[in-house]
Order: sequence, then C-alpha cells, then structure tokens
Amino acid sequence: MLLKDIRDYQILFLGLFLVLGIGTRDWTLRPEFIGVAIATCLATQWILSLVISHWSLAKNIDASAATLRERQGRTRRVGQSLNIRSALITSLGLGLLLRADHWTTMAIAAALAIASKFIFQVGDKHFFNPANFGIISALILTPDAWVSPGQWGEEWWYGLLFVGTGGMILQRVGRWDTTAAFLGSYSLLEAIRNLWLGWTWDVYWHRLMSGSLLLFALFMITDPRSIPNSRIGRVVWAICIAGLTFILRNYFFISTAVFWALFALAPLTILLDVLWLAPRFAWQEKDEEAGEELLTQHS
Amino acid sequence: MKFFRLLTPLLLAIVAVLCFAPAAWAFCGFYVAKADTKLYNKASQVVIARDGDRTILTMANDFQGEVKDFAMVVPVPTVLQKEQVRVTEPKIIERLDAFSAPRLVEYFDSDPCAPVYERELSAAPAPAASNQSARKRSSDDSLGVTVEARFNVGEYDIVILSAKESGGLETWLKRNGYKIPRGAKQLLQPYIRSSMKFFVAKVNLDKFEQSGYQFLRPLQISYQSPKFMLPIRLGMINATTEQDLIVYILSPQGQAEITNYRTVKIPSDANIPIFVKDEFGEFYKSMFQTIYTKEDRKVGFLEYAWDMGSCDPCSAEPLTPEELKQAGVFWLDDNSASNVPVSPNFRRPFPRSNVFISRLHVRYTRDKFPEDLIFQQTANSESFQGRYVLQHPFQGELKCQAGREYKQSLPKRFEQEAQTLAKLTNWKIQDIRNKMKLSVGNLRYSWWENFLSWLGLY
Repeated sequence: MLLKDIRDYQILFLGLFLVLGIGTRDWTLRPEFIGVAIATCLATQWILSLVISHWSLAKNIDASAATLRERQGRTRRVGQSLNIRSALITSLGLGLLLRADHWTTMAIAAALAIASKFIFQVGDKHFFNPANFGIISALILTPDAWVSPGQWGEEWWYGLLFVGTGGMILQRVGRWDTTAAFLGSYSLLEAIRNLWLGWTWDVYWHRLMSGSLLLFALFMITDPRSIPNSRIGRVVWAICIAGLTFILRNYFFISTAVFWALFALAPLTILLDVLWLAPRFAWQEKDEEAGEELLTQHS
Repeated sequence: MKFFRLLTPLLLAIVAVLCFAPAAWAFCGFYVAKADTKLYNKASQVVIARDGDRTILTMANDFQGEVKDFAMVVPVPTVLQKEQVRVTEPKIIERLDAFSAPRLVEYFDSDPCAPVYERELSAAPAPAASNQSARKRSSDDSLGVTVEARFNVGEYDIVILSAKESGGLETWLKRNGYKIPRGAKQLLQPYIRSSMKFFVAKVNLDKFEQSGYQFLRPLQISYQSPKFMLPIRLGMINATTEQDLIVYILSPQGQAEITNYRTVKIPSDANIPIFVKDEFGEFYKSMFQTIYTKEDRKVGFLEYAWDMGSCDPCSAEPLTPEELKQAGVFWLDDNSASNVPVSPNFRRPFPRSNVFISRLHVRYTRDKFPEDLIFQQTANSESFQGRYVLQHPFQGELKCQAGREYKQSLPKRFEQEAQTLAKLTNWKIQDIRNKMKLSVGNLRYSWWENFLSWLGLY
C-alpha cells in the first residue's frame, strides 16, 4: 500500500529535505511550525471535504437512498484517503518555503492553501498551486511572513539531491517538460542579461544554482493537478512564468519573484486548457473514477 | 523558635528570588569581554538603516595610508544631491560595534554544600532571550560621462557621476586624478548597464586640516530605491586576501538576512575553559576562521540580532534615540507608524523599541562571492547573540557528600570544555589541557584522592 502512489515518494522526499534542512541548513526552520502547517492542512482538508460532500448530497436529493448511501461511502472513503496525501504535500511545501514569526501565520497560510483548492475551481479543477497560494496569502495578509531564498545555499550535492529526487517523480508523472521549459527559458534570459551587463559567468552560475529555485522548479510548478493538461499548454505556461520571474527579479528587485510569478499566472491554466484540450491528470485510476463520479453528481 | 527556623530559609528564598530571578530568567552571568571589530586589521563597516525603500547608508572607511591618496568609488542606485550626503562621527559606529560584538560572560558555581534552593536558582536554565551644493550638470560627450552633481561635505569633495560606457568612466576618473586599479573597466560596466550612478569621494586636504580631525569620518548617504544591496565586487579588484565586512542593518521590524548567499549563525552558548578570559580576541578570531572554513568560505554570518531597546548581558549600553538617529534611524519620530505594520497585542508580549539590529559578518574572496550582496528584512524577531561562557568552579572548602560529588564531576566538565574549545577553534587539545592545568591547578585530583572518594572515605 505504502509507496504505491507517486505522492508517497513525494512526501518521503519533502520530509527528507525538511529533516536535512533543520539539521544542516536553515536555522529559521521551526519544527513546531511545520507541525502546525500539517495539522491545519489536514484539518481544513477534512472539514471542507465533509462540507462539499454534504452539499453535493443535498443537490442530489432525488437519487435513490441506496445509491446515495453507497456514493456517500465511496466518495468519502476515496476522497479522504487520497486527499490526505495532497494535504500533506502542501503542508510540507509550506514548511520548506514559508517562514513566520508566529504560529497563527502558518495556520492561516495552511488553511488558505487548502481552501484555495475548493474555492478556485473551474470544471472541477483547481488552478492555484495550494502551497504557493498559501505562501502568497501569508505574505499579503499577515505582517510577519517571509521567504528565505538564500537559506538553501548553492551546494552542488544539494542541487544533485533535488534534481535526482525531483527527476524521479517527474519521470513518473510525466511532467518533466514543465521543469525543462521553466529552467531552460529562465536560464536563457539570465544568460542574455549576464552577457549584456558584462558580468563574468560565475555570477550567472551563482544566480542559477540557488537551492530554492531548484526546489521551486522541480516540486512546485510541476503539480500535475493544477497546471495545464496538454504538453504544449504546460510549456507555454512555464515559459510565461520564467519570463515574469525574470522581470520581477531583475527590474523590481523582488527576491521572492518565482512565487509571485506562479501566483499571478496560475489562472492562465484555464485559458490554456480551453485552447489545447487534453485529458485531466489523475494520480491513480481509482482517483479518476472518483473524479468522474463527482462530475456526474454535479451534473 | 522552631517556626522561625523554618521561616528563615523561606524568607531567604523569597528575597533571593526577588533579587536575582530576573537575571536567572534572562541570560545570566556577567559580561566580561567582547570581540569587536578592532580584532581585524582591515574590516569595512557599513550601517544600513532601512524602512520600506528608504535607506540611510553609513560607510566607515578602513583606509590606511596618506589621506591625500584617499578616493572611493561606490555604485549607488540613484543620483544623490548635497542634502543626501553628510559626514558622521566615527564614534557612532564604534557604539554599534560595541553593542553588538560577540561577548564573553562568566558564572561562578555556588557552594554545593549550601542549602538546595540557592543551587536551583543558579542552575535554572536560561530560557530564550527576553525577546526580545550647488548642482552643476555638465556633460563630457566624448566620454559619455555626466557629472550629475558636484559638492563638498565636510572634508570630502564629492562627485556623482552617471556614465554611458565603462571606458569613458575610467578615462574620466583618471583625468580627474583618481587612481583606478587595473581591471576596473570590466567591473564598472555591469553597474553602468544596470543604470547605477557612481558616488565618488576624495579628501579636500585644506578642509581636512582645518577640521582638526585625525581620521577620516564616515560618510552617510540617504536615498530611495527598491535595491537593497551592497556592491562588493569593486573592492575585490586588487585584493589579494579575504576581506572582512561587518554590516549593521537597522530595521523597524526584525532580523535581516542575505538573499543570495546563506546566512548562518555563528556558534554560540558554548562553555569554554577559564583561561580564554585573557585571550578572548584570539579565541574569537580562531573560532570565526574555523567556522568560515567549515562552511566552505561562502556564507555570511549572523553575529547578533536583537531589539535595540535592551541587551542581556550588555557589552555596551543600548544606543540612545539620539545616537540611533545619528546611525541613520529615520523612523523614530514617525508616530503615525504608517510603514510599520501594527500587529495585534497578543503577538508582542514584550514592549519593543521599533529598531532591530542585525550584525552580519561577511568574509569574502573573489572566488566564493561572485555576486554583490543582496539583503532582505524579515519579520523574524528572534534574538541571537554570539555568547561564550566561563564557568568558574566553586573555590571554597567542600565538606559534604554533595561537595564530593561536585568535585568528582569537575574533571569531566573541564575535559568537556577543553574539547568544545578544540572543536570551535581547531587549537590542539593537548595545548588546551596544559593551559587549563595551570589555571585550575588546585582543583586537580591525585589518584588516591579519587580512590578514597570512591570508597566514600574522602
């Protein structure tokens, strides 16, 4: 059962990064806040799932009682056992990237991250990356949230670890194209700028070797559930994010540019999905069934 | 009478708690020495007071040599006018340095044979800190250099330049009597292309002699720009060895950190042997070098982070509001607090002055620090200080069981201290042990003393 789902690997790897981060890297990481993030994400997921399933039931009141009971049982079972994974991934992502001075900030970020999945939906697909949504909401809404882009350093073995584990997951979910398009276009833009400014190339490599950038490119913009479904859509989308990141970082001097770029361009997913039709991603076949079932309920 | 006997220790305990508890709740011990920037032959010091995108930057010159040869070229984000430049007293940077320097504190063990409550008091773990000119615009078209402003401030002659190409700037500087090191052209270009201006200062010898100052005073500039950075590349052109830079960042909110390099806390709160008291400076230098090498010479170190309203233990008194203003803190009078996010009361259990200091120590070389330093302020209000502890053993006579146990525990403690020191500084453990024997000679035990105490006879 364990490690059957790709997300189990993702949880394992993110957990490993957190342990490594607390142990060797980042002194602003606070284990108790990661606990708060996990608890809040799971609780929000559970509560909102309950609310949604009750709401769908109310809408399908005309269906026969037997089917209803069966559906309720299946939806809840499938929904919960599957969504614990994604809530956990979201909370680990928040723990890795978001810093706060007070635990309530972490709780607000975690609750809003999960809530965004339920609120911002088009055709049963959420378009904001939950962890990214949580980070940006905390930065906007609270006075004490920040992101430490420098804290992962630029150690080569850290980069290797991120690329290795991230690559393995991307291989399985088939979303390496997004990372390649993002990193490729971003490094090209930075290279052109470096050439134009006349910096030596070690400046360029230093800018690209940031652990936070790799973490973002491999683990955040590749979330298959919220990004465009078609390959061409994803490539276009990733290039747009790279371009906006480049502008925000170099012309507005925002050190957390990647997160703002992803947040601003997330709604573009809807448009790209309309332009290029492709089947929606599902973690497992069971999940797909559940999705279809929900769709039929809504219809 | 019996009642009184009971009461006395109780009263004593209450008095003790009332008198000493505040010290025990905070970092207790007495401050004895500090490792300030005088330890380093050459350490540039910069004070950055920043709120939003408004910045006041103070640069202390570590210039050694003939004053007439002094010249500096600093890339700055905007064109500066005369009102935006002033000179300050070097004393203010010394005050910041003294306030935030890594410190040595000492504790004295209490008599293990004395009643228990005193020991408990002194052994109470230290919890986290209590939180808490006339403008003349001329253009030399052939060189592409524009003199945006030219004025003098104090003993300095100042020119603000903008340039179109680095060759022209280099020529302009040379023609105007500045000695520009080889290779400057390549380094100036990226700053020109990112539309930075150049703040160029020279000493006006007449004014300098009139002023009666012996040393060059720090220059202070104020500007408004989203760029929160410090150019270090230019300074590395003709540097042969690593350079030390101490940056004091004053913020209305919390800790500052470097965004394009890792920021690491220096090792702190270590118990080290007592003899270090006489060589604390040497100790700190060795320790810094060790951690710097261990971190592969490519991180910035946080030496101090504290709210300016307090310190514990204080290696210098906190700066007065007047001194803070001299250091560039411009938001003190700003009672509207429009720029400082007001948080609900429950988040701020302690009163805060709205100045938070972060002292960052960067030792950089060309190969490990290719990019200029970029900073950010965070809401992290956690206090941190580089603090090293001397724990003096109890020197009096010990005539109880607890005393014997205490005495037996000492060799192990000394060995632990020796190992900690060796680990921190990379000094030879045997040398440390030898030095310790000299300083705690009368507390060593012979084999027969150990044996007798094991039998319970001594």
